[in-house]
Amino acid sequence: MISRSEQKTLLNRTPRFEDMLCSLYAAPRMPGGVVKETKKVVAIARKFNVQVIRARTLELDKKMHEEPDYLAWDFVREANRWGFYSMWYPKQIGCKGYSFFSMPPFIEEIASACLGMANLIMVHYLGVTVLASSMNVRLIRRLFMDTIEGEKTDSPCIFSTAITEPGAGTDVEETELVDKGNITCYAQKVPGGYRVNGTKVFISNGHLATWHMLIAYSDLKKPSENMVVLAVKNGTKGFSFGKMEKKLGQKCCPASELIFNDCFIPDEYVCADMRMDMPKTGLSKKDLAASLLDDTLAASRCGVGAFGAGGARGAFETALKFAAKTKVKGRLLINHEWAQCILAEMYKNMLAARLAYMESNYANGVFGPMAVFQYKPVYYFSKYMPVRFFNLFENFFRKPVATKLLRRARLLAFKQENNQITAGLGSFCKFSATDLAVKNCHLALEMMGQAGLRHDKNAEKILRDSKLLQIYEGTNQLNRLNLFKCLIARDFPQTVVFDE
Amino acid sequence: MSANSNKELKLLAGAALEFAKKELAPNRENNDRFPFGPFWNPVLEKAFELDFFHTTLPEEFSGIGQGMSSLCTVLENISQEDASLAGIIFTNTQAQEIMRIAKSDGLLKKAGNAKTVKEFLIAFPAFNNPSEVEHVASASKSGDGYTVSGGIEYVVLGGMAAQAVIPARLDGQDGYSFFFVDLSANGINRSDPVFSLGFHACPAVDMTFNNVKAALIGEEGRGQEYFEKMADRMSVAAAAISLGIMKGSLKEALDYCTKRFQGGREIIKWSEMKMILGNMAVMTKNAELILSAACGATDAGKNGWEQCCRAAAIHIQEMACDLTTDGIQVLGGVGYMKDFGQEKRFRDAKQAQSLLGMASLKKVQYLESIAG
Ligand SMILES: Cc1cc2nc3c(=O)[nH]c(=O)nc-3n(C[C@H](O)[C@H](O)[C@H](O)COP(=O)(O)OP(=O)(O)OC[C@H]3O[C@@H](n4cnc5c(N)ncnc54)[C@H](O)[C@@H]3O)c2cc1C
Repeated sequence: MISRSEQKTLLNRTPRFEDMLCSLYAAPRMPGGVVKETKKVVAIARKFNVQVIRARTLELDKKMHEEPDYLAWDFVREANRWGFYSMWYPKQIGCKGYSFFSMPPFIEEIASACLGMANLIMVHYLGVTVLASSMNVRLIRRLFMDTIEGEKTDSPCIFSTAITEPGAGTDVEETELVDKGNITCYAQKVPGGYRVNGTKVFISNGHLATWHMLIAYSDLKKPSENMVVLAVKNGTKGFSFGKMEKKLGQKCCPASELIFNDCFIPDEYVCADMRMDMPKTGLSKKDLAASLLDDTLAASRCGVGAFGAGGARGAFETALKFAAKTKVKGRLLINHEWAQCILAEMYKNMLAARLAYMESNYANGVFGPMAVFQYKPVYYFSKYMPVRFFNLFENFFRKPVATKLLRRARLLAFKQENNQITAGLGSFCKFSATDLAVKNCHLALEMMGQAGLRHDKNAEKILRDSKLLQIYEGTNQLNRLNLFKCLIARDFPQTVVFDE
Repeated sequence: MSANSNKELKLLAGAALEFAKKELAPNRENNDRFPFGPFWNPVLEKAFELDFFHTTLPEEFSGIGQGMSSLCTVLENISQEDASLAGIIFTNTQAQEIMRIAKSDGLLKKAGNAKTVKEFLIAFPAFNNPSEVEHVASASKSGDGYTVSGGIEYVVLGGMAAQAVIPARLDGQDGYSFFFVDLSANGINRSDPVFSLGFHACPAVDMTFNNVKAALIGEEGRGQEYFEKMADRMSVAAAAISLGIMKGSLKEALDYCTKRFQGGREIIKWSEMKMILGNMAVMTKNAELILSAACGATDAGKNGWEQCCRAAAIHIQEMACDLTTDGIQVLGGVGYMKDFGQEKRFRDAKQAQSLLGMASLKKVQYLESIAG
């Protein structure tokens, strides 16, 4: 009825089978163990919500209103004690080594109880993703060990990621725009390292983090080709914290200014440098930088999508609880037909947000840079092979050649169409899920009347917290344009994006 | 609303806006810190001296006796900079209106004669339609007066006003009545200020009353009727607050967009940004037209003016919530920060949407009012 080649041709037409049914394509390729792990981390998150977050989140939020400069160390310490900052680090260095695939559902769970707390955890993994995308094995290991040590000693060692500058927010999220932007964070190559000058703003986790993954540029005239990724530790000479922002919501997670003033970063803390240490492949420097940025953003935007589902769910659950016990016009609100329809709508929004981020999660699982770890033989090999086996290679991984080989393998495996689907679906879930979160918050407040306005009833906090989701990791407008660029424009060669 | 319809309104609009720019805008962030910062008594006193609290109070009670157009003009212009003050004026006017509608002239006279703002202010549960909720406060006859007992949540200005107008159900009766309570009386407990989403400087408290002497407003059991009549008129005033917030948000967004560069140009030059701003501008213009029509209908006593007010309020309040979300979005990260006014407008717009009761139920109620 249909030949193999005909089927292939038809399925490669827009929408490609993998684009339109990504989860169906991906699920059978994923190891079954991932389901078990996901169940486990979701259960852990639920326990944490009950034992830690729900008891404290409102009180902490209120305290932050009162003392905007207060640092929520209690929350970070708890997360540290529960092992959250290393839970997805590899087993080979003594950690749980959960699959990255299980992280977004975990994040949704935490976010449904407190988006600020979810951010305190997730932003650390944004730093981990930036670090991991650089494939600098030696440095990855070095910084991971710091986190592990921080867990052992009850002094959290978490990461932040510093991309945004005072004059460039949207511009630094998009390689097509960055050369037109007002970029000032300059990393000048000097013997033995880089000297950095400039300021980064709105950096989540900033004042609470020990390591900062700093994106700077070694040539401000052509930042797109000269991105440098540096790991900067607190206490480094020339690095200081500036102000901590007073925000609408997500108060427990600080947004900080990071100031670099003739700050010298030695070569050993250079994660990646587009100019110098990239293996030769067919990709231009700009494409290399774009792929590094896209890899990071595809993962982190999936995480923000999970925040969105969490926010949508938090609002739904709060409204439901209220409706189930509040009488309006003599009848429980939950028994008014209009309220039932609004609750159903909110349930739909929550579910749609979840499906959106899971689609992106599947895409990252099979097409993203970490896909290799989801590949069944690799997954089971690394899960069941005793740690001592990997120890045999420890010395090798410390050598620059390991980094070089890994980068080469990653770059050779780089495929434009895979990048488009992970980046496109990352943006899709980011703006869809976060818009749905804000929508649900509005519905919750409209349904709860004056109770919805009160801090002690939680709904208003979820609204304030959720609004941020539409802004960071690229505004939802930028993400719409990125979806257009990745998944729509490719079929129309005459299209130009970010240039009207 | 359009303040151009006559000279008087134009002058009033100018005075209110100037006051807002001079007295409210410079300290917006600080004033908004309440209850974690000081309360803005000096601002209230100035607003009181300028008669912003007296706009619709009839002349025989020492008010100015103007129509809803005037009240809306004041509220709208003040709300462009800080809707909390508009919330205070609104709450006070709600209480005055209940007394006016119920023809409680003696009480109104007493309120109107107050010489200081502290003596003048009347607390009222401004975000509640009493027939929507279960009544926890009850009243009983005692001698030739009444006493009130039980709790009432979210009484706006309850922490600072000298008196309150509160709903309570008379023992053995259906429905509810309104009572006037002297808040210096014994037997009254107030919570700390209820920390809320918006209107921080227009605070509310939860109150409990224990056999507190109270004066009946109007007649027994007619509370709902008085409330609905008050809400017919005051809906348009609530809408004016939302419109002011919209105008403030649009203005700040436009200002920012012409100064902020991304992608090598002012962000207003990106057509997606024009689309968002265009949408905000269209919403604001429509809100202005609708409000102006509703105010006109109310002041002229046109047939069906009540429905005009209610529909205008529902629609404008909803638009204000949509618009202020975009108002933040247009500014990107800084929109989320307290250094700019947008995040407060976002909170205040949502807060304002619940004035006079649950936002969702207002639609059901509106339908019932036209379809029976
Ligand atoms: C609380 C908070 C935490 C944050 N955490 C971090 C962090 O940890 N690390 C980090 O690096 N950054 C962080 N950010 C920064 C965040 O990613 C930026 O705020 C975001 O990318 C938007 O940039 P901007 O604020 O400079 O807005 P701008 O880029 O100035 O945008 C302003 C408006 O212009 C629009 N716009 C800009 N360019 C275009 C265009 N080409 N076409 C159409 N519209 C356009 C935007 O959509 C937006 O509406 C955080 C921000 C906040 C608020």
